[in-house]
Amino acid sequence: MTLAKSTLPDILETPEWRVEGRDKVTGAARYAADITRPGMLHAAFVGSPFPHARVASVDVEAARKMPGVRAVLTGADVRPARFGRRLQDWPVLAWDRVRFIGDRVAAVAADTVEAAERAAAAIAVEYEELPAVFDPEAALAPDAPVLHPDAAEYTYLGGTRPPRSHANMQGHVVHEHGDVTAGFEAAAAVFEHEFVVPRVHQAYIEPRASLVWIEGDTVHVVTTNKAPFALRDQMAVTIGVPAAKIVVDTPHVGGDFGGKGLSLDEFALYFLARATGRPVRSVLRYADELQLSNTRHAARIRLRTAVDPNGRITAHQGRVVFDGGAYAAGKPVAGLLPGGPTLTLAGYRVPAARVEAVAVYTNTLPAGHARAPSQPQHTFAAESHLDLIAHAMQIDPVELRVRNAIRAGETDVEGNVWHDSQAQRVIATLLAASQWGGTVGLDHGRGVAFSARHVGRGKTSLTLTLAADGSLEVLTGVADQGGGAHTMIQRVVARELGVDVARVHVRRGDTGHANVDPGVGGSRVTPVAGNAAVDAARKLKARLGELVLTLDDAARTAAPLAVTGEGEQNEHVFGTYAYSVEVSVDRATGCFRVVDAVLVADVGTVINPVAVRGQLEGGFVFGLGQAVMEELRLDDGRVTTTNLGDYKIPTIADAPSLRLVLITDAPGPGPFGAKSAGELANPAVGAAIANAIDAAVGARVMSLPITAEKVRAELAKREGYAPTSPDGTADSTAGRR
Amino acid sequence: MRADRRLIDALRDDLGCIGTKEGCSIGVCGACSVLVDGKLLSACLMPAVFVSGRAVTTVEGLARGDELSPLQDAFIREGGFQCGICTPGQLIAATALLAERRRPSDDEIREWMMGNLCRCTGYHGITRAIKAAMA
Ligand code: FES
Ligand code: FES
Repeated sequence: MTLAKSTLPDILETPEWRVEGRDKVTGAARYAADITRPGMLHAAFVGSPFPHARVASVDVEAARKMPGVRAVLTGADVRPARFGRRLQDWPVLAWDRVRFIGDRVAAVAADTVEAAERAAAAIAVEYEELPAVFDPEAALAPDAPVLHPDAAEYTYLGGTRPPRSHANMQGHVVHEHGDVTAGFEAAAAVFEHEFVVPRVHQAYIEPRASLVWIEGDTVHVVTTNKAPFALRDQMAVTIGVPAAKIVVDTPHVGGDFGGKGLSLDEFALYFLARATGRPVRSVLRYADELQLSNTRHAARIRLRTAVDPNGRITAHQGRVVFDGGAYAAGKPVAGLLPGGPTLTLAGYRVPAARVEAVAVYTNTLPAGHARAPSQPQHTFAAESHLDLIAHAMQIDPVELRVRNAIRAGETDVEGNVWHDSQAQRVIATLLAASQWGGTVGLDHGRGVAFSARHVGRGKTSLTLTLAADGSLEVLTGVADQGGGAHTMIQRVVARELGVDVARVHVRRGDTGHANVDPGVGGSRVTPVAGNAAVDAARKLKARLGELVLTLDDAARTAAPLAVTGEGEQNEHVFGTYAYSVEVSVDRATGCFRVVDAVLVADVGTVINPVAVRGQLEGGFVFGLGQAVMEELRLDDGRVTTTNLGDYKIPTIADAPSLRLVLITDAPGPGPFGAKSAGELANPAVGAAIANAIDAAVGARVMSLPITAEKVRAELAKREGYAPTSPDGTADSTAGRR
Repeated sequence: MRADRRLIDALRDDLGCIGTKEGCSIGVCGACSVLVDGKLLSACLMPAVFVSGRAVTTVEGLARGDELSPLQDAFIREGGFQCGICTPGQLIAATALLAERRRPSDDEIREWMMGNLCRCTGYHGITRAIKAAMA
């Protein structure tokens, strides 16, 4: 790893030692599925076998009498409880209608998992099938079956639901700025392409788990949800218990990647706990993770871009259709679209744009947030589109990006003016590091992809206490999903106070003890919680100043001394990054291999060097998996990739080496000038590979995942012969399990 | 014990050894890796009765008292984990690897560790940690 420039010869230069490191390597770290309560029962659910049906009757009599069964609930018992992060449109248990295969109609609590599952299997449900719709475009037809005729009853958290022009729309937005018509009229050339991106799963290794019990009038929840305060507030509305009477505790989270902001089981567990007076736990089986939970949205993206004779963008149009699945419950943002829905050309100067995005209800499993929502879809489309434009205009692909990458003072595709931009530097650094333009071997090719991701915004607070023994304790509500948040807070406080890191202890508190935090996500933790840590340290220093005491004297005479640090980051700031990827392609089979990859990323000041490297390397391989092998396949609404053997994610043998070049001297709005890193690497991998394959052998793949089969089909088209099709799906990378 | 009781359940539920994790439940992810008489196995596939009378090593058994094993130490220093859910399995698998081959090559590391999925690190930190531990 190369650091383009280093300025801080201090704590930040020392590789961090994770505060939770020892627990995680000794097996002591507790995750939600590790937590038990005396008298705990186990839950099981009954899911619909039909994608769309009316629930005619549910017969639970036999199940109730089975050994070990303590409670059986149906939709009638929980009505009208629905859940969701923004729009509460998902019934805890369906009482009149099921909308996807797996939608739950009954829940059981029993002494053992086996007893609960046996009882669930004994519940007899009668359904009357309804016409189902699986394709979002079909769902937008005037006569399409309406999935949510009762939408007017749904609770929308925090305001009023934006209007929609079709009952099957979840969210719909149109962004427009500049004179789009004039931009197209004055253009030297106009290019239009359509791209398709499938559903993929976050595929964390830890399935969701939760445990709920009621003590007095307080509801306790232990969960894998990475945003405990948000879950508390959503739950308060769903179950009708005041938020102050719900305590949510998120122990270590075994990976999130955007998916674990939505809880599935906790609501039903509350009703089971209430019915039995006992703690009730549920640990999802991985098969259910893949069939029930909020995947990334599949998308169809049509881009139309006008350029001047030099390839400079003059105007841009986009239409994006997201498959939202049966419920919008997984989407936290106000528009009920995945975040950044109209950010179709991230990081470029776009003088005029009109981009329309819509998320649509279909009778498939619900879609929600996944690492850098919308961006893997948009970046695959945008960076493939620009390469096609470069090719048609006979401009070098990197040069085309240099001409269009945004500079300070210019306007991006969403109409935001950038006050600062490292885009040109990122591309220039990539040019040098990748030896762009140099020769490559036969059937080898290099592809470039550039993009931008916001530095997270939001607000949080934490408390910092100086104890009598001189130690400093931070209490935070930020959950640990693996990003290294607690270590970041520790280092920021220690650096600001000029003390050894070992003196600062970071403790995570549940929602009953810690200050409100919006949850891990949106590249928010370092810029927001980090600023709260700086603020806390500064306030403590100010108190010491007032008392005219040193830290050690204050510990002896004035402890405990507590301050609250506030952090807020509302600036519209982007980090930019670019890949150069070299592939080698086997023309006979379409198989390809990444032989070299370089990532240049503008991350600002680095607080946790080991974690930043890990986020970028991990993001690269995550992005690679979603680019070349992952697809949650559906057949008439039924997920067919129902286990981690069928839904393949990269193994160690699939991880190519990656050269990282960090730009660290352009300060961002986070602590000491930090920006974000967690969502910088994954979105652009697909386009870089597609562009490299096209450069190598002239095969352009317009959809993800980029498989050997697709590459070969494109080659065949160009070479004018029909390929002999192999059985099953082709492997797209070497050395898979 | 019932013949169909899985080793993972016996470890986690009966013995309270919750260091061993369950991910995929079908022998693919390696989160449940344990050593049985030194041999690397998936506890989600293994009936508990099969290990009767044999020595089972889980992540809890890797440190000597307070002293971390070289691999555990290297996983912390080299970024061998993030969320940590795959880490008990990775450490057990890597421990078995280094017992088998003192100085595995990069290819041998890749081949051996293929059965242990990690969604966080992109595996680079894990490879660095294994190499650091054998140095
Ligand atoms: S849980 Fe045993 S291999 Fe995945
Ligand atoms: S550290 Fe999270 S899955 Fe490996």
